Amino acid sequence: MNFPDDLKYHKEHTWVRISGKKVTVGITDYAQDSLGDIVYIDLPEVDAEISKDSEFSEIESTKATSSVIAPVSGTVIEVNEDLEESPEIINEDPYGKGWIAVVELSDPSEIDDLLDSADYERYVEEEAK
Amino acid sequence: MRLLVLGAGPGGYVAALKAAQLGAEVTVVEDTEVGGTCLNRGCIPTKALVASAEAIHKARRLKDYGVDVSGEIMPNLSRIMERKDKVVSTQVKGIRSLFKSWGVNLIEGKGMLLTPEKVEVEKRDGSVEIVETDKIIIATGSRPAQIPIFPFDGEHILSSDDALDIKSIPKSLIIVGAGVIGCEFACIFRELGTEVTMVEMMPGAISTEDPEISRLLEKELKKKKIKLMTGVKVEKVEGRHDGIHVGLSGGKELLAEKLLVSIGRSLNTEGIGLEAVGIKKGARGEIVVNEKMETNIEGIYAIGDVTGGILLAHVASKEGVVAAYNACGIEKRIDYSVVPAAIFTSPEIASVGLRENEASEKGIDYVTGHFQFRALGKAHAMGEITGFVKVVAERGSDRLLGVHIIGPNASDLVHEAAVAIKAGLKVRDIADTIHAHPTLSEGLMEAAEDVHGEAIHVPKPKK
Repeated sequence: MNFPDDLKYHKEHTWVRISGKKVTVGITDYAQDSLGDIVYIDLPEVDAEISKDSEFSEIESTKATSSVIAPVSGTVIEVNEDLEESPEIINEDPYGKGWIAVVELSDPSEIDDLLDSADYERYVEEEAK
Repeated sequence: MRLLVLGAGPGGYVAALKAAQLGAEVTVVEDTEVGGTCLNRGCIPTKALVASAEAIHKARRLKDYGVDVSGEIMPNLSRIMERKDKVVSTQVKGIRSLFKSWGVNLIEGKGMLLTPEKVEVEKRDGSVEIVETDKIIIATGSRPAQIPIFPFDGEHILSSDDALDIKSIPKSLIIVGAGVIGCEFACIFRELGTEVTMVEMMPGAISTEDPEISRLLEKELKKKKIKLMTGVKVEKVEGRHDGIHVGLSGGKELLAEKLLVSIGRSLNTEGIGLEAVGIKKGARGEIVVNEKMETNIEGIYAIGDVTGGILLAHVASKEGVVAAYNACGIEKRIDYSVVPAAIFTSPEIASVGLRENEASEKGIDYVTGHFQFRALGKAHAMGEITGFVKVVAERGSDRLLGVHIIGPNASDLVHEAAVAIKAGLKVRDIADTIHAHPTLSEGLMEAAEDVHGEAIHVPKPKK
């Protein structure tokens, strides 16, 4: 399983890639692997306000329906529309083409609450036990 | 005993047949066609359209099933309508031949009560016949309710009746009212290729259903790209050269080729002589009846939508049976404790018994169980994995109180639960009954098991 070290992670298995006040958000390799084949994602609307630790999207796989928990708070400024027709991209490339949304942070200090890749990997190993 | 039944819908025709079976001399007066709204303008024609919509849907997904097709999948509206009409006419003939077989006399015309023993019928050819009778069952039904500021015109502002007879597939359609009828039509038209926008005053789609079910339906509508606007009112409707403009509360304006109004039903209580014989009506104009379906006038019964109760064909039919027995001197009372209901959206919805919020409002100590269809092998084999079964049970006694289903074949699956509730069974009775594999019915068994935290095909709960 792959956890790139240039990303920050939330315990609900989402990641953020930070670029100034904007962050790209997606679900982790561990999350896509646990979900199995993803068949649908209910994307948030552009301009939607999302808040850290709350559901901002929902993913359906052939196995389960699962909430996607926001790793940060802010305003959605872009969503990955390719996922509407081809949600399986998340399975194929969770950190790249499978990104879900770009969010403008309302509280950049929230980034400090997130885990780095080593801590997240340890957390996942713990959870998998 | 001579019995006259006014109206041959699913209430009236069933009452007529039952009374004839019990030995009554039965006359039915019907001003349109036997089968009523259900058969001619409701349940059956919409389900014929649903079947065509499902065929289109499946055809577009043939690749998923490993079938290659060459050429485009195109709905052919006139053939779809022909098929629907054929389905309806076959059923109409069926009722007519049953009438014949049981010796029920059908008079086609508009009936009006003159006295409790005399009914005037204005026939289609304009002639008038006075029918003398001993008893009367009123079963005149209901019709689509309209919004006075923009009445139906059959062309651009459609009722559900009109929508069943459209001549071309509209490019765009606004549906006012996201209740059962609105949502069924939304799914049908979307599959035909129409851009559909639904406008609803209430906070959700089919808000009479369990909120979890409404929420999943809303998500499925969104997947189909049916736009649902909730918590908004229609304030203005204007037909212009480019289509129907709809002004909403909050200032938004929508534009579409056609508008379908599905906000409910109006009861058919006018022009049938209720005042002449002094039949008591309630606050909404409904005919007031007791549990023997008797009105305040001796010898006159009323059944179905016109009594303003539960506006469902199968309820009207049962009320018809009860009225027929009582009219024939055999006492029977209607029992509404178990009324399954089915909604033919995609996916289907069906429910019976108490909803969770109803159990809560009644102060019942309850527990729920859930099971997702996507955990069943059969659902995957069918390629229909969306939906779930929800069970509501009384804690302690384990009595089954309600079952609510959204998903494939929900309308057929609900009846196992209906029988169980009617028989007063416990959740464990369902959980402990072997259910055939692989079937969707396993979903109810597992949801029942889940009430006790014993479902097999669910992951271990997180610590």
